[in-house]
Amino acid sequence: MLQITDLVKSYNNGEPVLKGLNLATDERRLTAIIGSSGAGKSTLLRCINRLVTADSGRIELDGINILELHGKRLQDTRRQIGMIFQAYNLVDRLTVMENVLSGRLGYVGTLRGVLRRFPQSDIDRAYALLKRVGLSQYVNTRCDSLSGGERQRVGVARALMQNPRILLADEPTASLDPKTSERIMELISRITDELDLPVLINLHNVPQARDYADRIVGLRYGVIVFDGGPQDLTDDWLEKIYAGHEDDLKKQMKVAGEDGANE
Amino acid sequence: MSDSTVHYRWKRPHFIETPYIRYGLLALAAIYLIFALSTLRVNPQRIVEGIPRAINMFRGAVPPDFESRGGLIVRGFIESIQMTLIATAAGVALSVPIAFMAARNIAILPIYAVGRMIVVVARSLHPVVLGVLFVSAVGFGAFAGILTLIMYTLGFVGKLLAEAIEEIKYGQVEGVRATGAGFFATLAYAVFPQVLPRLIGLSIYQLDINLRASAIVGLVGAGGIGATLNTAFGRYDYATASAILLVMIGIILVAEGISGRLRGLTK
Repeated sequence: MLQITDLVKSYNNGEPVLKGLNLATDERRLTAIIGSSGAGKSTLLRCINRLVTADSGRIELDGINILELHGKRLQDTRRQIGMIFQAYNLVDRLTVMENVLSGRLGYVGTLRGVLRRFPQSDIDRAYALLKRVGLSQYVNTRCDSLSGGERQRVGVARALMQNPRILLADEPTASLDPKTSERIMELISRITDELDLPVLINLHNVPQARDYADRIVGLRYGVIVFDGGPQDLTDDWLEKIYAGHEDDLKKQMKVAGEDGANE
Repeated sequence: MSDSTVHYRWKRPHFIETPYIRYGLLALAAIYLIFALSTLRVNPQRIVEGIPRAINMFRGAVPPDFESRGGLIVRGFIESIQMTLIATAAGVALSVPIAFMAARNIAILPIYAVGRMIVVVARSLHPVVLGVLFVSAVGFGAFAGILTLIMYTLGFVGKLLAEAIEEIKYGQVEGVRATGAGFFATLAYAVFPQVLPRLIGLSIYQLDINLRASAIVGLVGAGGIGATLNTAFGRYDYATASAILLVMIGIILVAEGISGRLRGLTK
Protein backbone atom coordinates (compact mmCIF):
# COMPACT_ATOMS: atom_id res chain seq x y z
CA MET A 1 0.00 0.00 0.00
CA LEU A 2 2.73 2.49 0.96
CA GLN A 3 5.83 2.08 -1.13
CA ILE A 4 8.82 4.41 -0.74
CA THR A 5 11.54 4.15 -3.37
CA ASP A 6 14.94 5.89 -3.48
CA LEU A 7 13.75 8.81 -1.37
CA VAL A 8 16.26 11.66 -1.16
CA LYS A 9 15.76 14.83 0.85
CA SER A 10 18.19 17.58 1.80
CA TYR A 11 17.53 20.96 3.37
CA ASN A 12 19.00 24.10 1.75
CA ASN A 13 21.23 22.06 -0.55
CA GLY A 14 23.13 20.66 2.43
CA GLU A 15 24.12 17.07 3.10
CA PRO A 16 21.06 14.89 2.37
CA VAL A 17 19.05 13.87 5.44
CA LEU A 18 17.54 10.92 3.57
CA LYS A 19 19.87 9.15 1.17
CA GLY A 20 17.91 6.95 -1.21
CA LEU A 21 15.63 5.40 1.35
CA ASN A 22 13.44 2.38 0.52
CA LEU A 23 10.57 1.24 2.70
CA ALA A 24 7.29 -0.54 2.11
CA THR A 25 4.42 -1.41 4.35
CA ASP A 26 1.24 -3.05 3.18
CA GLU A 27 -0.59 -4.83 5.94
CA ARG A 28 -2.02 -3.69 9.21
CA ARG A 29 0.85 -3.44 11.59
CA LEU A 30 2.65 -1.01 13.75
CA THR A 31 6.06 -0.13 12.35
CA ALA A 32 8.31 1.75 14.74
CA ILE A 33 11.12 3.84 13.31
CA ILE A 34 13.99 4.34 15.72
CA GLY A 35 17.29 6.16 15.44
CA SER A 36 19.25 8.95 17.07
CA SER A 37 18.20 12.56 16.61
CA GLY A 38 19.21 13.77 13.17
CA ALA A 39 18.79 10.32 11.62
CA GLY A 40 15.95 11.60 9.43
CA LYS A 41 12.93 10.06 11.19
CA SER A 42 10.80 13.20 11.21
CA THR A 43 11.83 14.16 7.70
CA LEU A 44 10.73 10.74 6.45
CA LEU A 45 7.23 11.08 7.90
CA ARG A 46 6.89 14.69 6.80
CA CYS A 47 7.84 13.71 3.25
CA ILE A 48 5.04 11.17 3.17
CA ASN A 49 2.25 13.70 3.69
CA ARG A 50 4.21 16.43 1.92
CA LEU A 51 4.65 18.81 4.83
CA VAL A 52 8.13 18.92 3.30
CA THR A 53 8.88 18.22 -0.34
CA ALA A 54 11.38 15.48 -1.13
CA ASP A 55 14.13 16.09 -3.70
CA SER A 56 13.71 12.85 -5.62
CA GLY A 57 12.37 9.32 -5.42
CA ARG A 58 8.83 8.00 -5.25
CA ILE A 59 6.29 7.67 -2.45
CA GLU A 60 3.33 5.66 -3.63
CA LEU A 61 0.09 5.31 -1.71
CA ASP A 62 -2.10 2.73 -3.42
CA GLY A 63 -0.10 3.23 -6.60
CA ILE A 64 -0.37 7.04 -6.68
CA ASN A 65 2.95 8.89 -6.49
CA ILE A 66 2.41 11.51 -3.79
CA LEU A 67 5.44 13.52 -4.89
CA GLU A 68 3.77 14.43 -8.20
CA LEU A 69 0.47 15.70 -6.75
CA HIS A 70 -0.66 19.31 -6.57
CA GLY A 71 -3.59 21.31 -5.27
CA LYS A 72 -6.85 19.45 -4.88
CA ARG A 73 -5.36 16.02 -5.67
CA LEU A 74 -2.69 16.52 -3.02
CA GLN A 75 -5.40 17.41 -0.47
CA ASP A 76 -7.38 14.32 -1.46
CA THR A 77 -4.34 12.18 -0.71
CA ARG A 78 -3.43 14.03 2.47
CA ARG A 79 -6.84 13.41 3.95
CA GLN A 80 -6.16 9.67 3.66
CA ILE A 81 -3.02 10.05 5.77
CA GLY A 82 -3.61 10.78 9.45
CA MET A 83 -0.78 12.40 11.39
CA ILE A 84 -0.09 12.67 15.10
CA PHE A 85 2.55 15.20 16.15
CA GLN A 86 5.02 15.39 19.00
CA ALA A 87 3.79 18.89 19.96
CA TYR A 88 0.15 17.85 19.32
CA ASN A 89 -0.23 20.76 16.81
CA LEU A 90 -3.81 21.41 17.85
CA VAL A 91 -5.27 24.86 17.41
CA ASP A 92 -5.05 26.07 21.00
CA ARG A 93 -7.85 28.59 20.88
CA LEU A 94 -10.42 26.25 19.34
CA THR A 95 -12.48 23.76 21.29
CA VAL A 96 -11.82 20.04 21.45
CA MET A 97 -14.78 19.43 19.14
CA GLU A 98 -13.58 21.96 16.56
CA ASN A 99 -10.13 20.40 16.55
CA VAL A 100 -11.53 16.93 16.07
CA LEU A 101 -13.89 18.11 13.34
CA SER A 102 -10.99 19.80 11.56
CA GLY A 103 -10.03 16.26 10.59
CA ARG A 104 -12.94 16.43 8.13
CA LEU A 105 -11.81 19.64 6.44
CA GLY A 106 -10.40 17.61 3.57
CA TYR A 107 -13.89 16.25 2.91
CA VAL A 108 -16.38 19.07 3.52
CA GLY A 109 -16.46 22.28 1.48
CA THR A 110 -14.52 25.30 2.74
CA LEU A 111 -17.64 27.32 3.54
CA ARG A 112 -19.29 24.52 5.49
CA GLY A 113 -16.06 24.01 7.40
CA VAL A 114 -15.64 27.70 8.19
CA LEU A 115 -19.25 27.96 9.37
CA ARG A 116 -18.86 24.74 11.43
CA ARG A 117 -21.76 23.17 9.50
CA PHE A 118 -20.48 19.61 9.39
CA PRO A 119 -22.70 16.73 8.24
CA GLN A 120 -24.50 14.91 11.05
CA SER A 121 -22.50 11.75 10.32
CA ASP A 122 -19.25 13.63 11.00
CA ILE A 123 -20.57 14.96 14.29
CA ASP A 124 -21.69 11.49 15.34
CA ARG A 125 -18.27 10.12 14.44
CA ALA A 126 -16.53 12.89 16.38
CA TYR A 127 -18.59 12.13 19.49
CA ALA A 128 -17.86 8.42 19.11
CA LEU A 129 -14.12 9.05 18.77
CA LEU A 130 -14.04 11.42 21.72
CA LYS A 131 -15.79 8.77 23.77
CA ARG A 132 -13.28 6.18 22.55
CA VAL A 133 -10.28 8.29 23.62
CA GLY A 134 -12.01 9.18 26.90
CA LEU A 135 -12.64 12.88 26.41
CA SER A 136 -16.45 13.02 26.20
CA GLN A 137 -16.63 15.50 29.05
CA TYR A 138 -14.39 18.02 27.24
CA VAL A 139 -16.34 18.46 23.99
CA ASN A 140 -16.60 22.25 24.31
CA THR A 141 -13.41 22.87 26.29
CA ARG A 142 -10.71 24.94 24.67
CA CYS A 143 -7.63 22.88 23.85
CA ASP A 144 -5.21 25.20 25.63
CA SER A 145 -6.75 24.26 28.97
CA LEU A 146 -6.08 20.53 28.54
CA SER A 147 -3.09 18.59 29.89
CA GLY A 148 -0.48 17.15 27.54
CA GLY A 149 -1.93 13.66 27.59
CA GLU A 150 -5.44 14.96 26.94
CA ARG A 151 -4.18 17.06 24.05
CA GLN A 152 -2.53 14.09 22.46
CA ARG A 153 -5.80 12.18 22.74
CA VAL A 154 -7.45 15.00 20.82
CA GLY A 155 -4.61 14.70 18.30
CA VAL A 156 -5.34 10.98 17.91
CA ALA A 157 -9.07 11.66 17.51
CA ARG A 158 -8.40 14.32 14.86
CA ALA A 159 -6.19 11.98 12.86
CA LEU A 160 -8.75 9.16 13.05
CA MET A 161 -11.53 11.57 12.12
CA GLN A 162 -9.96 11.68 8.66
CA ASN A 163 -10.88 8.02 8.28
CA PRO A 164 -7.29 7.48 7.14
CA ARG A 165 -5.80 4.65 5.09
CA ILE A 166 -2.57 4.98 7.07
CA LEU A 167 -1.49 6.69 10.26
CA LEU A 168 1.78 8.55 10.82
CA ALA A 169 2.94 9.44 14.31
CA ASP A 170 5.98 11.63 14.86
CA GLU A 171 7.31 11.04 18.38
CA PRO A 172 3.76 11.10 19.78
CA THR A 173 4.89 10.42 23.33
CA ALA A 174 8.12 12.43 23.58
CA SER A 175 6.48 15.49 25.20
CA LEU A 176 4.68 13.43 27.82
CA ASP A 177 5.64 12.07 31.21
CA PRO A 178 6.44 8.33 31.27
CA LYS A 179 3.08 7.16 32.56
CA THR A 180 1.00 9.25 30.16
CA SER A 181 3.35 8.29 27.37
CA GLU A 182 2.64 4.63 28.04
CA ARG A 183 -1.12 5.26 27.99
CA ILE A 184 -0.97 7.06 24.67
CA MET A 185 1.07 4.24 23.14
CA GLU A 186 -1.53 1.75 24.37
CA LEU A 187 -4.30 3.87 22.89
CA ILE A 188 -2.59 4.17 19.51
CA SER A 189 -1.76 0.49 19.29
CA ARG A 190 -5.25 -0.63 20.36
CA ILE A 191 -7.14 1.76 18.12
CA THR A 192 -5.06 0.85 15.11
CA ASP A 193 -5.84 -2.78 15.90
CA GLU A 194 -9.55 -2.04 16.03
CA LEU A 195 -9.48 -0.01 12.82
CA ASP A 196 -7.12 -2.26 10.89
CA LEU A 197 -4.68 0.55 10.10
CA PRO A 198 -1.03 0.44 9.14
CA VAL A 199 0.94 2.81 11.36
CA LEU A 200 4.37 4.37 10.95
CA ILE A 201 5.55 5.69 14.26
CA ASN A 202 8.77 7.51 15.09
CA LEU A 203 9.82 6.53 18.56
CA HIS A 204 12.29 8.08 20.86
CA ASN A 205 11.86 5.37 23.38
CA VAL A 206 13.45 2.03 22.45
CA PRO A 207 11.72 -0.14 25.09
CA GLN A 208 8.36 1.26 23.90
CA ALA A 209 9.23 0.30 20.35
CA ARG A 210 10.05 -3.22 21.56
CA ASP A 211 6.79 -3.45 23.52
CA TYR A 212 4.33 -2.19 20.93
CA ALA A 213 5.79 -2.55 17.45
CA ASP A 214 5.24 -5.50 15.11
CA ARG A 215 8.19 -4.32 13.06
CA ILE A 216 11.12 -2.07 13.87
CA VAL A 217 13.09 -0.02 11.37
CA GLY A 218 16.42 1.42 12.47
CA LEU A 219 17.41 4.62 10.71
CA ARG A 220 20.95 5.93 10.75
CA TYR A 221 22.02 9.06 8.84
CA GLY A 222 19.22 8.72 6.32
CA VAL A 223 19.69 5.03 5.56
CA ILE A 224 17.81 2.03 6.92
CA VAL A 225 20.34 -0.15 8.77
CA PHE A 226 17.93 -2.47 10.54
CA ASP A 227 14.57 -3.91 9.57
CA GLY A 228 13.01 -6.72 11.55
CA GLY A 229 10.77 -7.84 14.37
CA PRO A 230 11.22 -6.63 17.93
CA GLN A 231 12.78 -9.96 18.90
CA ASP A 232 15.50 -9.43 16.29
CA LEU A 233 16.53 -6.09 17.74
CA THR A 234 19.50 -7.23 19.82
CA ASP A 235 21.71 -4.94 21.84
CA ASP A 236 24.34 -5.35 19.14
CA TRP A 237 21.93 -3.92 16.60
CA LEU A 238 21.02 -1.08 18.94
CA GLU A 239 24.70 -0.20 19.28
CA LYS A 240 25.02 -0.13 15.50
CA ILE A 241 21.93 2.04 15.06
CA TYR A 242 23.04 4.48 17.73
CA ALA A 243 26.83 4.29 17.13
CA GLY A 244 28.30 7.68 17.92
CA HIS A 245 25.18 8.62 19.88
CA GLU A 246 25.55 6.29 22.86
CA ASP A 247 24.44 9.00 25.28
CA ASP A 248 21.24 9.38 23.31
CA LEU A 249 20.58 5.65 23.55
CA LYS A 250 21.38 5.50 27.26
CA LYS A 251 19.00 8.36 27.99
CA GLN A 252 16.18 6.71 26.10
CA MET A 253 16.66 3.37 27.81
CA LYS A 254 16.73 5.08 31.18
CA VAL A 255 13.42 6.91 30.72
CA ALA A 256 11.69 3.58 30.41
CA GLY A 257 13.59 2.14 33.38
CA GLU A 258 12.35 4.90 35.65
CA ASP A 259 8.88 4.36 34.36
CA GLY A 260 9.09 0.69 35.31
CA ALA A 261 10.13 1.64 38.84
CA ASN A 262 7.08 3.86 39.17
CA GLU A 263 4.55 1.22 38.26
CA MET B 1 48.63 32.86 47.62
CA SER B 2 51.02 35.59 46.71
CA ASP B 3 49.62 36.32 43.24
CA SER B 4 46.06 36.79 44.48
CA THR B 5 46.60 40.54 44.65
CA VAL B 6 46.69 41.06 40.87
CA HIS B 7 44.42 43.95 39.95
CA TYR B 8 42.50 44.21 36.74
CA ARG B 9 41.46 47.54 35.30
CA TRP B 10 38.01 47.58 33.78
CA LYS B 11 36.10 50.33 32.04
CA ARG B 12 32.87 50.02 30.10
CA PRO B 13 33.84 49.83 26.40
CA HIS B 14 32.91 52.90 24.37
CA PHE B 15 30.03 52.67 21.90
CA ILE B 16 32.35 54.05 19.18
CA GLU B 17 35.84 52.58 19.56
CA THR B 18 38.00 55.07 17.63
CA PRO B 19 38.55 58.27 19.65
CA TYR B 20 38.91 60.47 16.51
CA ILE B 21 35.49 59.43 15.25
CA ARG B 22 33.97 59.58 18.70
CA TYR B 23 35.05 63.14 19.49
CA GLY B 24 34.73 64.23 15.86
CA LEU B 25 31.02 63.30 15.82
CA LEU B 26 30.45 65.11 19.12
CA ALA B 27 32.14 68.25 17.72
CA LEU B 28 30.03 68.09 14.55
CA ALA B 29 26.84 67.81 16.58
CA ALA B 30 27.85 70.84 18.69
CA ILE B 31 28.67 72.93 15.59
CA TYR B 32 25.33 72.04 14.00
CA LEU B 33 23.44 72.93 17.17
CA ILE B 34 25.08 76.38 17.30
CA PHE B 35 24.36 76.93 13.60
CA ALA B 36 20.73 75.87 13.99
CA LEU B 37 20.17 78.17 16.97
CA SER B 38 21.68 81.10 15.08
CA THR B 39 19.14 80.72 12.24
CA LEU B 40 16.18 80.87 14.61
CA ARG B 41 14.98 84.44 14.64
CA VAL B 42 13.05 84.65 17.85
CA ASN B 43 11.35 87.99 17.83
CA PRO B 44 10.80 89.11 21.44
CA GLN B 45 8.54 91.90 20.31
CA ARG B 46 6.05 89.46 18.74
CA ILE B 47 5.97 87.40 21.93
CA VAL B 48 5.26 90.49 24.02
CA GLU B 49 2.49 91.61 21.65
CA GLY B 50 1.01 88.11 21.64
CA ILE B 51 0.58 87.86 25.40
CA PRO B 52 -2.41 90.22 25.68
CA ARG B 53 -4.08 88.46 22.72
CA ALA B 54 -3.66 85.13 24.43
CA ILE B 55 -5.04 86.53 27.69
CA ASN B 56 -7.97 87.97 25.77
CA MET B 57 -8.67 84.58 24.20
CA PHE B 58 -8.60 82.77 27.53
CA ARG B 59 -10.82 85.43 29.07
CA GLY B 60 -13.33 84.87 26.27
CA ALA B 61 -13.11 81.10 26.79
CA VAL B 62 -14.03 81.27 30.49
CA PRO B 63 -16.70 80.42 31.39
CA PRO B 64 -17.36 77.94 28.55
CA ASP B 65 -20.71 78.43 26.86
CA PHE B 66 -22.57 75.17 26.39
CA GLU B 67 -25.97 76.67 25.73
CA SER B 68 -26.14 79.26 22.97
CA ARG B 69 -24.78 76.80 20.36
CA GLY B 70 -25.83 73.67 22.24
CA GLY B 71 -27.74 72.16 19.31
CA LEU B 72 -24.76 72.53 16.99
CA ILE B 73 -22.40 70.96 19.53
CA VAL B 74 -24.64 67.94 20.07
CA ARG B 75 -25.16 67.48 16.33
CA GLY B 76 -21.40 67.79 15.73
CA PHE B 77 -20.57 65.15 18.28
CA ILE B 78 -23.24 62.77 17.06
CA GLU B 79 -21.85 63.12 13.56
CA SER B 80 -18.31 62.50 14.79
CA ILE B 81 -19.33 59.39 16.69
CA GLN B 82 -21.24 58.06 13.68
CA MET B 83 -18.23 58.71 11.43
CA THR B 84 -16.02 56.89 13.92
CA LEU B 85 -18.24 53.82 14.17
CA ILE B 86 -18.85 53.46 10.44
CA ALA B 87 -15.23 54.07 9.51
CA THR B 88 -13.88 51.68 12.15
CA ALA B 89 -16.25 48.88 11.13
CA ALA B 90 -15.56 49.29 7.42
CA GLY B 91 -11.85 49.86 7.96
CA VAL B 92 -11.40 46.75 10.12
CA ALA B 93 -13.40 44.65 7.66
CA LEU B 94 -11.07 45.79 4.86
CA SER B 95 -7.96 45.38 7.02
CA VAL B 96 -8.44 41.65 7.56
CA PRO B 97 -8.01 40.49 3.93
CA ILE B 98 -5.27 43.04 3.34
CA ALA B 99 -3.41 41.91 6.46
CA PHE B 100 -3.48 38.31 5.18
CA MET B 101 -2.15 39.56 1.85
CA ALA B 102 0.60 41.49 3.61
CA ALA B 103 1.83 38.58 5.76
CA ARG B 104 4.94 37.02 4.26
CA ASN B 105 4.33 33.56 5.76
CA ILE B 106 0.87 33.31 4.14
CA ALA B 107 0.91 35.14 0.82
CA ILE B 108 2.96 34.38 -2.27
CA LEU B 109 5.38 37.14 -3.25
CA PRO B 110 3.27 39.12 -5.80
CA ILE B 111 0.25 39.21 -3.49
CA TYR B 112 2.48 40.10 -0.55
CA ALA B 113 3.91 43.01 -2.56
CA VAL B 114 0.43 44.35 -3.34
CA GLY B 115 -0.73 43.96 0.28
CA ARG B 116 2.37 45.66 1.67
CA MET B 117 2.01 48.48 -0.82
CA ILE B 118 -1.58 49.20 0.22
CA VAL B 119 -0.55 49.25 3.87
CA VAL B 120 2.49 51.45 3.24
CA VAL B 121 0.51 53.98 1.19
CA ALA B 122 -2.27 54.11 3.80
CA ARG B 123 0.29 54.60 6.56
CA SER B 124 2.48 57.15 4.85
CA LEU B 125 -0.27 59.78 4.64
CA HIS B 126 -1.30 61.58 7.81
CA PRO B 127 -5.08 61.75 8.36
CA VAL B 128 -5.06 65.51 7.85
CA VAL B 129 -3.42 65.08 4.43
CA LEU B 130 -5.86 62.29 3.58
CA GLY B 131 -8.71 64.53 4.76
CA VAL B 132 -7.61 67.34 2.41
CA LEU B 133 -7.40 64.84 -0.47
CA PHE B 134 -10.84 63.33 0.16
CA VAL B 135 -12.50 66.71 0.74
CA SER B 136 -11.29 67.88 -2.64
CA ALA B 137 -12.35 64.56 -4.18
CA VAL B 138 -15.87 64.11 -2.74
CA GLY B 139 -16.60 67.55 -1.28
CA PHE B 140 -17.02 68.87 2.27
CA GLY B 141 -18.80 66.80 4.88
CA ALA B 142 -18.87 63.57 6.80
CA PHE B 143 -18.41 61.29 3.79
CA ALA B 144 -14.91 62.65 3.18
CA GLY B 145 -14.22 62.14 6.89
CA ILE B 146 -15.39 58.55 6.79
CA LEU B 147 -13.16 57.76 3.80
CA THR B 148 -10.23 59.37 5.57
CA LEU B 149 -10.73 57.34 8.72
CA ILE B 150 -11.16 54.10 6.74
CA MET B 151 -7.76 54.65 5.12
CA TYR B 152 -6.25 55.51 8.49
CA THR B 153 -7.68 52.31 10.03
CA LEU B 154 -6.45 50.26 7.10
CA GLY B 155 -2.90 51.46 7.60
CA PHE B 156 -2.78 50.85 11.31
CA VAL B 157 -4.83 47.68 11.80
CA GLY B 158 -3.61 46.22 8.49
CA LYS B 159 0.03 46.57 9.41
CA LEU B 160 -0.19 45.37 13.00
CA LEU B 161 -2.48 42.46 12.11
CA ALA B 162 -0.10 41.41 9.33
CA GLU B 163 2.71 41.37 11.88
CA ALA B 164 0.57 39.28 14.24
CA ILE B 165 -0.08 36.81 11.41
CA GLU B 166 3.65 36.57 10.75
CA GLU B 167 4.20 35.58 14.39
CA ILE B 168 1.70 32.71 14.61
CA LYS B 169 2.73 29.25 15.74
CA TYR B 170 3.28 27.29 12.55
CA GLY B 171 2.80 23.89 14.14
CA GLN B 172 -0.92 24.54 14.47
CA VAL B 173 -1.07 25.37 10.76
CA GLU B 174 0.76 22.14 9.91
CA GLY B 175 -1.65 20.20 12.08
CA VAL B 176 -4.63 21.44 10.10
CA ARG B 177 -2.87 21.28 6.73
CA ALA B 178 -1.96 17.63 7.32
CA THR B 179 -5.68 16.74 7.46
CA GLY B 180 -6.02 17.67 3.78
CA ALA B 181 -7.71 21.00 4.49
CA GLY B 182 -7.65 23.52 1.64
CA PHE B 183 -5.88 26.87 1.76
CA PHE B 184 -8.81 28.98 2.93
CA ALA B 185 -10.04 26.37 5.39
CA THR B 186 -6.53 26.27 6.88
CA LEU B 187 -6.50 30.07 7.21
CA ALA B 188 -9.90 30.03 8.90
CA TYR B 189 -9.08 27.15 11.26
CA ALA B 190 -5.41 27.49 12.10
CA VAL B 191 -4.43 31.12 11.45
CA PHE B 192 -7.50 33.22 12.20
CA PRO B 193 -8.12 31.85 15.72
CA GLN B 194 -4.52 32.62 16.62
CA VAL B 195 -4.80 36.31 15.65
CA LEU B 196 -8.42 36.88 16.72
CA PRO B 197 -7.61 38.32 20.18
CA ARG B 198 -5.12 40.69 18.57
CA LEU B 199 -7.73 41.74 15.98
CA ILE B 200 -10.31 42.49 18.65
CA GLY B 201 -7.80 44.45 20.70
CA LEU B 202 -6.64 46.45 17.68
CA SER B 203 -10.21 47.22 16.61
CA ILE B 204 -11.15 48.60 20.00
CA TYR B 205 -7.95 50.62 20.16
CA GLN B 206 -8.57 51.94 16.66
CA LEU B 207 -12.10 52.99 17.65
CA ASP B 208 -10.51 55.11 20.33
CA ILE B 209 -7.95 56.58 17.89
CA ASN B 210 -10.59 57.25 15.23
CA LEU B 211 -12.72 59.22 17.67
CA ARG B 212 -9.80 61.59 18.23
CA ALA B 213 -8.92 61.71 14.55
CA SER B 214 -12.55 62.45 13.61
CA ALA B 215 -12.21 65.77 15.43
CA ILE B 216 -8.99 66.59 13.59
CA VAL B 217 -10.25 65.79 10.10
CA GLY B 218 -13.23 68.06 10.76
CA LEU B 219 -10.77 70.97 10.85
CA VAL B 220 -10.03 70.49 7.15
CA GLY B 221 -13.72 70.32 6.31
CA ALA B 222 -14.40 66.62 6.60
CA GLY B 223 -17.43 66.94 8.90
CA GLY B 224 -18.06 66.14 12.55
CA ILE B 225 -17.28 68.13 15.67
CA GLY B 226 -14.01 69.38 14.17
CA ALA B 227 -16.01 71.40 11.67
CA THR B 228 -18.11 72.91 14.47
CA LEU B 229 -14.95 73.74 16.41
CA ASN B 230 -13.41 75.38 13.35
CA THR B 231 -16.49 77.53 12.86
CA ALA B 232 -16.47 78.58 16.50
CA PHE B 233 -12.83 79.72 16.26
CA GLY B 234 -13.54 81.47 12.98
CA ARG B 235 -16.27 83.51 14.67
CA TYR B 236 -14.02 84.34 17.67
CA ASP B 237 -16.64 82.50 19.76
CA TYR B 238 -14.08 81.23 22.28
CA ALA B 239 -16.72 80.35 24.89
CA THR B 240 -18.37 77.81 22.55
CA ALA B 241 -14.94 76.56 21.43
CA SER B 242 -13.87 75.86 24.99
CA ALA B 243 -17.19 74.11 25.65
CA ILE B 244 -16.51 71.85 22.66
CA LEU B 245 -12.99 71.12 23.89
CA LEU B 246 -14.26 70.19 27.35
CA VAL B 247 -16.89 67.82 25.96
CA MET B 248 -14.25 66.32 23.65
CA ILE B 249 -11.91 65.64 26.56
CA GLY B 250 -14.80 64.09 28.50
CA ILE B 251 -15.87 61.81 25.67
CA ILE B 252 -12.32 60.67 24.95
CA LEU B 253 -11.69 59.91 28.62
CA VAL B 254 -14.84 57.80 28.74
CA ALA B 255 -13.96 56.07 25.46
CA GLU B 256 -10.47 55.32 26.71
CA GLY B 257 -11.82 53.84 29.93
CA ILE B 258 -14.26 51.61 28.08
CA SER B 259 -11.72 50.49 25.48
CA GLY B 260 -9.14 49.68 28.14
CA ARG B 261 -11.71 47.60 30.01
CA LEU B 262 -12.79 45.77 26.84
CA ARG B 263 -9.24 45.03 25.74
CA GLY B 264 -8.53 43.59 29.16
CA LEU B 265 -11.27 41.03 28.50
CA THR B 266 -9.67 39.56 25.35
CA LYS B 267 -7.12 36.83 25.87
